[in-house]
Amino acid sequence: MRTRAIKRPRVARKIRVAQESRVVVMAGILSACLPLPAEAQIGSVVVRSPRPFGLFVGDRFDAKVEIEAADGFAPQAASLPKPGPLTYWLDLTAVSVAPGPARDGHRLWRLSLTYQTFYAALDVRRLDLPAFTVTFASEVAHATTSAVAEVPGWQISVSPLREIQPPPVADPVEYLRPESPNPRLDPALPRALAWAFASFGLAGLLALARDRAWWPFRHRPARAFAAAWRQVRRQAARPDAEVAYREALLALHRGLDRTDGRRVMGEDLAAFLARHPAYAALAQPLDRFFRASREVFFGRDPSVAQRTCPFPDLMATARRLAAAERAAKAGGRS
Amino acid sequence: MNSIRPADAAPTDWRQIADWRQVALRFEAEIAKAVIGQDRVIRLVTIAIFARGHVLLEGDVGVGKTTLLRAVARALGGAYERVEGTVDMMPADLIYHTYLAEDGRPRIEPGPVLRRSEDLSVFFFNEINRARPQVHSLLLRLMAERSVSAFNREYRFPHLQVFADRNRVEREETFELPAAARDRFLMEIGMEAPTDPVLRRRLAFDPLFHDTDALIAGIAPDVIDQASVVGIAAALQHGIHASPALEDYVVRLWAAIRDPAQAGIALPDVAMDALVQGGASPRGIAFLIRAARVRAWLEGRDMLLPEDLRAVFAETMAHRIFLEPVYEMRRESIVPALCRAVLDTVPAP
Repeated sequence: MRTRAIKRPRVARKIRVAQESRVVVMAGILSACLPLPAEAQIGSVVVRSPRPFGLFVGDRFDAKVEIEAADGFAPQAASLPKPGPLTYWLDLTAVSVAPGPARDGHRLWRLSLTYQTFYAALDVRRLDLPAFTVTFASEVAHATTSAVAEVPGWQISVSPLREIQPPPVADPVEYLRPESPNPRLDPALPRALAWAFASFGLAGLLALARDRAWWPFRHRPARAFAAAWRQVRRQAARPDAEVAYREALLALHRGLDRTDGRRVMGEDLAAFLARHPAYAALAQPLDRFFRASREVFFGRDPSVAQRTCPFPDLMATARRLAAAERAAKAGGRS
Repeated sequence: MNSIRPADAAPTDWRQIADWRQVALRFEAEIAKAVIGQDRVIRLVTIAIFARGHVLLEGDVGVGKTTLLRAVARALGGAYERVEGTVDMMPADLIYHTYLAEDGRPRIEPGPVLRRSEDLSVFFFNEINRARPQVHSLLLRLMAERSVSAFNREYRFPHLQVFADRNRVEREETFELPAAARDRFLMEIGMEAPTDPVLRRRLAFDPLFHDTDALIAGIAPDVIDQASVVGIAAALQHGIHASPALEDYVVRLWAAIRDPAQAGIALPDVAMDALVQGGASPRGIAFLIRAARVRAWLEGRDMLLPEDLRAVFAETMAHRIFLEPVYEMRRESIVPALCRAVLDTVPAP
């Protein structure tokens, strides 16, 4: 790429040093301590334009401005050219500034500018880009010194897109080129990613729900006697009465165990009722149940049990327990 | 030990056993006169007497361990001997006693164990953990076989029951009982001071409890005829019915205590699969059933229930469970929790 550099002789202007102008007597004394003279504050200003020719209407083009400034001086952001329309045919679209290497007490500041031309040229011609200034200020605290770097204007050459008199055609549309078709994008990968993220998110949500015991992992408070009642009812249909009776007793035992969180034995009945007053009304049926259970499981003659607590009684007890449980759970008691 | 011989069971029938229950309850009531607020311990000691098992009492200093055992010895009847464990005691001190008689000639007399010969029924070993392991091993045989070899012959003590106590406060100059000796005890009963404020006030202010000798003297002696306990105990073991469902329950309990992780038991801060090293021996389970049967009888039943097992479970099993060394230091909190968890987990029936 060719670069055209537009150089200017060292141009810098001293702005002012307030104290210096006012106190003449002190000038001589202070001169040794004063900042460097303005001429030395701004060094060379170089404009590098990579392609200042062959530009058509709507083209963007870049320019780099290299400004040498004394160490300790930095460009003031407010003094940089603002992006926006500069002339009726020229826009500045982007500006950035970056410090470069330092050499011999000077630092190189690189200004990157992007322009866009809207000049619809009828023939090849040169156009002037506007000059501008950049103010550099000393970065030292309480400094009052500043210097201005003048960036000179430079030229670009613009060209027409078409001849002045194009050959006549039947349909003016033919002057236009068809629009380029949109590229077809393959949706497979985004779709797969979407599915993957969705399933990942869902899995995460499930894990969170399980951890927090949200629905559906939130178990309803166990209704032990309701389950026992269902089982007892199921036993009623069994042909073998002996086995059915044993199974029904076991179901009620497990219901009591689950309600209390421990194994409830016959001797614990009073303590159980004290812990769960909701079933206090069932003290007698429960006592009969425990006596029957002892006879069936631990006694010598299991048939005694059926007399103590016949199967219909057992079913009634189970049903009443389930009802009491439902009432207690609904009422917030246990 | 304590094998049931057919001859033991012969002279008793169920009605006689029921009469004996009243005797046992009277025995408990007599003991409770002297040792108040310890109904549970008294019940367990009574169970041990009718299960023909040896008892180790454990507890704080001054909670009444010795008083209880003296009361039991008095109410139980039969010959009674008592020794105090000391660090310099040797097995020979239990068996014979040597001294110079008035005529200046050496004499050898039978020691505490042999003095009452075969009548010895209560052997009370105070502060057993102060005695050396040599003494423990003599005691091991005395407890396991109810016999001792001395003076070239074997002495048998068919009625013997050993009651021992130890305090758990001191560790200095004490010797931990070997596992085999602990396994010979039917029960290891922990004894705590009563917590009821009324009882505490009585213990503190009632002069009756300040004079132990007078307190013991107030108990009716020989409430139980120790000689017939052997027969009753054997008859009891035959008379109390254990159903197949209860046998299943015991097997499940046994499995759960040997392998708590498998049974789904979890204790806080304990790796359950590496907790129990051993113990819960077949002898231990047999003891458990013996004690539970006696408890069922004392409750007036002729069938064994899970409640009976639960009532004696911790006392008969806890000292037979041996933990991995890393948990042994926390034994006093882990083992009771394990026993409770096993009983709360294993379904009955």
